[in-house]
Amino acid sequence: MERNGTGAIASLPKLGLGLGLRSLHFDQIIEQQPAIAWFEAISENFMDSGGRPRWAIRAIAEHYPVVLHGVSLSIGSTDPLNFPYLGKLKALAEEVKPAWVSDHLCWTGVQGINSHDLLPIPLTEETLSHVAARVHQVQDFLERPLILENPSTYLTFTQSTLTEPEFLRQLVEETGCGLLLDVNNVYVTCFNTDADPLAYLDSFPWSNVIQIHLAGHQHCGTHIIDTHDRAVEPAVWELYRLARSRSQGASTLLEWDGNIPSLAEYHAELLKAKQYMDENGKPMAIAEVSFNNKESVSTPVDFLVPEVMGNTIWEQK
Amino acid sequence: MKETSPSLQGLQSWMQNALIDPQQASREQIEGMVASSSRLNSSQRLAIYQRNYHIRLLKCMREQFPALCHALGADLFNDFARQYLQTYPSISYTLSDLGKRFPAYLEETRPDRQETSDKRESWIDFMVDLAQFERQLFVMFDAPGHEGKPFANLHSPDSCLKLQPCFALGDYRFPVAWYYHEVKQNNDPPFPPLQRSPIALIRKNYLTHTFSLTGVQYIFLQALSRGLKIEEAIAVAAREAAQPREQVYRSWAQAGSTRERWLEACFFIVGD
Repeated sequence: MERNGTGAIASLPKLGLGLGLRSLHFDQIIEQQPAIAWFEAISENFMDSGGRPRWAIRAIAEHYPVVLHGVSLSIGSTDPLNFPYLGKLKALAEEVKPAWVSDHLCWTGVQGINSHDLLPIPLTEETLSHVAARVHQVQDFLERPLILENPSTYLTFTQSTLTEPEFLRQLVEETGCGLLLDVNNVYVTCFNTDADPLAYLDSFPWSNVIQIHLAGHQHCGTHIIDTHDRAVEPAVWELYRLARSRSQGASTLLEWDGNIPSLAEYHAELLKAKQYMDENGKPMAIAEVSFNNKESVSTPVDFLVPEVMGNTIWEQK
Repeated sequence: MKETSPSLQGLQSWMQNALIDPQQASREQIEGMVASSSRLNSSQRLAIYQRNYHIRLLKCMREQFPALCHALGADLFNDFARQYLQTYPSISYTLSDLGKRFPAYLEETRPDRQETSDKRESWIDFMVDLAQFERQLFVMFDAPGHEGKPFANLHSPDSCLKLQPCFALGDYRFPVAWYYHEVKQNNDPPFPPLQRSPIALIRKNYLTHTFSLTGVQYIFLQALSRGLKIEEAIAVAAREAAQPREQVYRSWAQAGSTRERWLEACFFIVGD
């Protein structure tokens, strides 16, 4: 394999419309094998598991294409890369053979601490060099291209000099990595940073986009929180229409991590994407949405904690 | 980049400290690092991350210790968990480790830790025991197990019996397993009285089963978990419990006894 895996990006499959793999749906997926094109699994939920999650992903990967999506790579951190973590990720990938492996353009902690949040990076030339060097290391180690997602951000650093699309464009040119474009994150970040989402998409490096994320968010009036706990907002669907067209049909995944609905309801929300697969991809007007000042948690992670109580039995004498 | 800008390392270190302990970040520092938007000033923008850091991790802690949260009430549990996370921020890439040090933290920060054990508050002992039990259940959920492979059966000779890999022992001062399962049933159990409660945990078909033990059974299983054979473990149990070896053997081997029940419950696999 060439060093950066650039050529490999073009050969990645177009999987269609997929869902996030959530533990409360395991049994139904394994027993009924519903007609869902593919699943995205959170890598950290499975890489250390010697129990039911590992069994479930093995069983599901036998029947469906699977993609691994991580939250702990911390590609932007100034801490050294965590090679034991990468080793486990690689082992999981060898086992379930995902179509690709992705994570986020962010950092999660330094000095050995993990905030378990997807924290923003200052968009500077210094950060770009730092991240690019680490992307090379990760791609060399995993022996596959790394796919990076644009995160939701709630602040900008005073020292930032690049826009996020420009940063990602240079990163792609330097490393050949792939991109996961989260159109909900585009909407959230642009609102929170006073940017125009259409201008963001106009300057995005589309050639390396292999996946699109959709998700719900909460509008709090002064800011938007990326909550992943509700249906996709109309404005985000309009961005999807454009993104789907410009990416030439990149695989699409609907994220839902809080208040997770039944598999049928989840799938029905995903299938709305078919209404936005116009060939010309011209978005309708992106309307303002109503808001609720009560703030929910951003990017919930409690779904990463297994529900252990339901899997316990007390055998009395 | 401005000449006064901190390095990437400096910025990340500063922001992380501001999340873990919001009081550490002054308004001047925040304004130097974070730009205002048209709707929020620098501090308000940083505060979104500061709020979410605590809300997110406290929710994970409540989900890892549901019975302890029930026992303490959400507000008091959150207070303990918030102090815990400030003292021991997560150092793992996986949230599964978030509560790993919580039982020890509760023990080491108890206000009566200088007292002798007979003068200590029993409700704190109960909280520590319950936290240990819940942590053990959490570990068992994802530990390597024996699912998909054959367990030992009634015809397996004693000399070949070996504890299955997903097995744990606990010796608690309170009936924490009873309390936990009462909470699981959506009951509101009272704090239980002091009552020694040895238990065994095994996982079968990805379900973790808790078994109450007698003191002799606990010693016997402890010996087996150290790698002793059945016959040797019986000798250890008889000696430590000051019971005739034949009596311990009978309670192990006779029809309908411990051996039969534990084999049916998948305590054992066939070893080399």
